[in-house]
Amino acid sequence: MSDDDELSNAIAAQRGYLVRYAMFHLRDAAQAEDVVQDTLMAALAHRGQFAGRSQLRTWLTGILKHKIVDHVRRRERERPAGLDGGGDEEGPADAAGPFTAAGRWTEMPGTWGRPEEALESAQFWRVYDECCRIMPARLALVFSMREVMQMDSEEICKELGISASNLHVMLFRARIRLRACMTRNWFEARHG
Amino acid sequence: MVRLMYSCREASERASRAMEEPLPRMQRAQLWLHLAMCRGCHNFSRQIEFLRLASRKSPKMFDRDEG
Repeated sequence: MSDDDELSNAIAAQRGYLVRYAMFHLRDAAQAEDVVQDTLMAALAHRGQFAGRSQLRTWLTGILKHKIVDHVRRRERERPAGLDGGGDEEGPADAAGPFTAAGRWTEMPGTWGRPEEALESAQFWRVYDECCRIMPARLALVFSMREVMQMDSEEICKELGISASNLHVMLFRARIRLRACMTRNWFEARHG
Repeated sequence: MVRLMYSCREASERASRAMEEPLPRMQRAQLWLHLAMCRGCHNFSRQIEFLRLASRKSPKMFDRDEG
């Protein structure tokens, strides 16, 4: 088997990882398959550029991020104006968030102890995944672009056509939700 | 006159924003003051920073072979 065949096989072997990565951001199996297909084709076409300088997975994930962002940008453009796409709207309860009218916590955040220990637990990641999944789609997307893909705030604003203050509000809401969900389903559940 | 104390809503919002861009000096001081006195916001602030750390490591969960 030639080196070229070997690289092609190694690229194909990353498919499952890439599909799960895309699925986490896009939440749609067909769309995830599409962007991964594009990624694998681009990777094969440009495999000469992969000189083993970085990990194969890192290189592929870099291509995949671009494909996901392109896809999201196109999807945003096709969104009918005035409609905020399926279930993204937050109910009135979310406007106030976990605060009273006077701006106090309705439930004071307690300590998480030493949360770093959780990072080694497979169950922790299942809870994290589920907590991201139940966020409104747009909040989850902005959050995952910022924190999982680690895109710059400015880049996200540009790609999604939103203002910096809009981004800050969405990230704040996403963090509040994820924190509350992780508290309920991991940090308190475990000791309870 | 500038109000000295942030509410918890303001403090937690600034703590989140501080993860995106440096706060103006006065806001930074007000946030610091609030966090020093409020256990709940102190916890919140540490926890959202932990969630950033966790999110950066999260792609390892796509490694699993089952669904």
